[in-house]
Amino acid sequence: MSDYYIGLSGLAAAQRAFDVIGNNIANAATEGYHRQRLELSPAFSQQPGSTVFIGGVNIEGVSRTIDTLLEQEILRQKSALASVSQQTATMSTIEAAFGEFASEESGLNVTIDNFFTSLKNLSTHPSEDIWQNQVVSNAETLTGQFRTLRDFLSELQNQIKSQAEATVGTINTLTGQIGELNGQIERIMLVGGEANSIRDQRDQYITELSERIGIQTIERSNGIIDISTSGIPLVTGSIATAIEANYVNDGTLGLSIAGASNYSTNIQGGTIGGLFSLHNDSVAGIADNLDSLANAIMQEVNNYHVMGTGSAGSFSQLTGRSLTTDELSEIGTISDGTLYIRVTNTATGEISREAIAINAADDLSDVATAITAVTGLTASISSANELTISADVNYTFDFMPAVLPEPTLTDFDDAAPPTVTVTGIYAGTENDTFEFTVIGDGSVGNGTLSLQVTNGSGDLIKTLNIGSGYAAGDALDIGNGIKIALSTGNLAETDGDLFQIDAFADTDTAGFLAATGINTFFSGSSAVDMAVCSEIIENPQRIATAIGADGTDNTNITRMADIKDKAIAGLGRLTCGQFYRKMTFDIGQDISIKQIQQENGEIIVLDLTNRQNSISGVDINEEAAQLMVFEQMFQAMAQYMHTINTSVASLMEIL
Amino acid sequence: MSGFNSVYNNVTFALQLHSKALFGLQEQASTGSRINRPSDDAATAYRVMGLNSQQRYHTNFIDTIENAVSTQIMASSVLQNMGTTLIDTMVHLTQILSGTYGEGEDGQSSRDRVALEINDVLEQMVSSANTKYVDQYIFGGDNTGTVPYRVQRDNNGEIIGITYQGSTDGRNIQVAPGVQSDITYAGDDIFRSSDRETPVFYGTAGAAAGTGTSSVKGDLWLTVTNDGSNYKLSIDGGTTEITVPSSGDISNIAVTNANGEVLYVDATNITATGTERVRIPGTYDIFNVLISTRDLLRNSNGLSDTMVAGLVDEASKSIEETKNVLVAKESSIGTRINFLDSLKDSIENIKFNGEDEAAMLQDADIAQIAIDISRRQTLYEMSLSVAGKLMSLSLLDFIR
Repeated sequence: MSDYYIGLSGLAAAQRAFDVIGNNIANAATEGYHRQRLELSPAFSQQPGSTVFIGGVNIEGVSRTIDTLLEQEILRQKSALASVSQQTATMSTIEAAFGEFASEESGLNVTIDNFFTSLKNLSTHPSEDIWQNQVVSNAETLTGQFRTLRDFLSELQNQIKSQAEATVGTINTLTGQIGELNGQIERIMLVGGEANSIRDQRDQYITELSERIGIQTIERSNGIIDISTSGIPLVTGSIATAIEANYVNDGTLGLSIAGASNYSTNIQGGTIGGLFSLHNDSVAGIADNLDSLANAIMQEVNNYHVMGTGSAGSFSQLTGRSLTTDELSEIGTISDGTLYIRVTNTATGEISREAIAINAADDLSDVATAITAVTGLTASISSANELTISADVNYTFDFMPAVLPEPTLTDFDDAAPPTVTVTGIYAGTENDTFEFTVIGDGSVGNGTLSLQVTNGSGDLIKTLNIGSGYAAGDALDIGNGIKIALSTGNLAETDGDLFQIDAFADTDTAGFLAATGINTFFSGSSAVDMAVCSEIIENPQRIATAIGADGTDNTNITRMADIKDKAIAGLGRLTCGQFYRKMTFDIGQDISIKQIQQENGEIIVLDLTNRQNSISGVDINEEAAQLMVFEQMFQAMAQYMHTINTSVASLMEIL
Repeated sequence: MSGFNSVYNNVTFALQLHSKALFGLQEQASTGSRINRPSDDAATAYRVMGLNSQQRYHTNFIDTIENAVSTQIMASSVLQNMGTTLIDTMVHLTQILSGTYGEGEDGQSSRDRVALEINDVLEQMVSSANTKYVDQYIFGGDNTGTVPYRVQRDNNGEIIGITYQGSTDGRNIQVAPGVQSDITYAGDDIFRSSDRETPVFYGTAGAAAGTGTSSVKGDLWLTVTNDGSNYKLSIDGGTTEITVPSSGDISNIAVTNANGEVLYVDATNITATGTERVRIPGTYDIFNVLISTRDLLRNSNGLSDTMVAGLVDEASKSIEETKNVLVAKESSIGTRINFLDSLKDSIENIKFNGEDEAAMLQDADIAQIAIDISRRQTLYEMSLSVAGKLMSLSLLDFIR
């Protein structure tokens, strides 16, 4: 009866093959499906003592056509591609938000230029409303644009966090499903069953998981696959471990096993890897750069602005910004130094300069007390730590470095000495004291009387003739912007006659005014809160254009306009414009590189997928050919059975 | 081997690739720009942004120079008119000296008429010195918001004094990178000569210039009196009197006034009292010389015709001195206008080159884009065609 057995085994094999081929064709378009093959082997049995082999065909099983290494590589590449695609898309959004090249007048590059151009225009017309208003308008546009961009980046970081949380939710769902399928596969395999379809389904989930996070997989016995990411186990057998994304203390985004609060920020691959890289590196870096640029512009402009006055003149009252603390060491960048306040008695015209020692270890009230000790001034501190300096009636004050009209020290012995008048704007870069020593004895305008001018280091910088040839009252330039004039009078070298002039390049060596927001142009400390001071907006005449005694010069506004071309240490010795352009270059370059990586990744994934298709994919033609083979096999086996049956019938008839 | 899936993947990939390329090309064609965002070509974008920034910088410099030049032209024109007016005044004075207007009573009435004309000229000069252009006083130095010359008038409304209240320095602005230029002028520099010479004494008292350098300016009267034992000298009509010692060195007596100005007088040869006219050449300003000349012509001190003629001659020289200062300044402004024009040309050239370079870097090559679009479109259609052909037939069509 072995013939019947052979025939039946053949028919059964053919029928099973039809099932497999049908299943293959039915899943030809199913994503993640691996082509299945009927595994056949010749059946045989050996009778003891005999050499007769009786066969037929055995169905060994149905196997998946799969290249495990290739599948692993696809997971890795898809993970990398998802990461870089996420980064490219988000960085392109940032690039679009910056708006460079969108139109001729869009982007921060133009706005920065316009702000400094308006400062330069104001230097030509320092006391005119229209140019003052233009500066305010352009400054408000600048600060508005900084804030808008910074808000956008902050909002983007929030969105990235939300997206990361949503992706983590999807990851947790996928790992749960994978764990469940792992369990089903194990159960089927343990009883010797085939779990091809379930494995395909699980593998498809693993592929989807790899697109969301970089994973490492380990295949164990009974078809189980364990999955982990950056040391965090995601799936172990049938157990899935939930994860969560949240902020770490320093504001970076981290991933941890849910509830463990042990966050790792170094997550690579997949959408999550891309989101983490964007949040913690790219967007944070751009935001930091934007803050640095805003801070540099504010600091540079404010450092000059605090020392000057505008066409509105000196002040009767100034109030600083509110501070979170009154300890100087905690406020901005205050160092030990001296603040020089110029106080004018408007009734008498007398001008004095008072030095306020600033000790970084002091608090605001110490400074207020020292200012209050100055005749004509009162300082107070509000509950919000705002310092207010007020001038008494008939007094005004400012912080201008303008030379005082008279020498700071005069040592003339004659009963009829000359009067020395000092004018001009000091062009030096360091505070200095110039000493004028009389050479010769006699009257101004006579003989060989002269003055030797030495600086604070004792270096002789000029010798001025005040003898014959000098007309009393004529201004003498000592070469650094300061001019002196002597009236008629007698001087004597033999008496050791001399006088001194204090020249100021910086009246706030401690950086106190800029840090506390006294007479600043900008308020804020970064792009987040960068703004034009309300006093300036309300009264553009407060823009500190001048530092000269009569307040009509354009020296200060020219210095502020020149910041445009100044290499700033805080910006890596780049100018504001260069730094911003480098920033946009870096963003563009980053996108460009990521686009190339994405294109390469897409090609690699395409190649690998094609390779996978050639191994595991369903080819209708191939299946059709197989169908023909098994159809013919079935027909032949049926004919064979018919022949056997006929033979047996004939035999039975003979018997 | 898996045909359909691979064909599908390849076709999808190719179509996406061509679509993306076509979108990029279409964007370039529609904007005319090869770079529409920094990532299109980061290095070129960096360069173009720098060039655009530079162009804005240069455009602003060109505007600044144009404004500066127009201010200079206005200043030059004002000075030219003032110079012409001074020449006319000098002609009148010369006519007086040559007797054109007659002598004696006729001469005085003619001098009064000319004095009246000079008074009008003075008003005109003050008005010119206070010229405002584009809301700025161009002769107030840095102080462009305050009228530079304030006048004091007598009860008849005539100007008897002029005070300069502008600043001593002109407004200096940046007209090109690292190049600065004054756009307004300190009137004290423009309308006053500053080449002080030794004082010249006109009179019979015998006073002469001392050895010291005097600080008084223009014309003044030295009054020599005697209290019976000593001569007394004054340059402010006797308000401040300096006694000449009867012994010792009297060759350099400092005669001061209430303003602290000093005239050094050699009193050695003073032998008589009287009033001496003192000129300090090289210190005249237009306004005071006109006031002085006007008053001289009116002869309120009752000087002789000869004396008046001599002083009018000197006044004419003083006016010429101030006119020469104006001419020199006008010439200096002319030179500055030429310099600024030349600077503007230079900046325009740099700006043009920058624009050219930016355009070269940024502008799209439309012909090349048209070819690329055509090529991509062909590839796109080929992908569709190949996919259609490959997927239209299978072995199943042949089974039966």
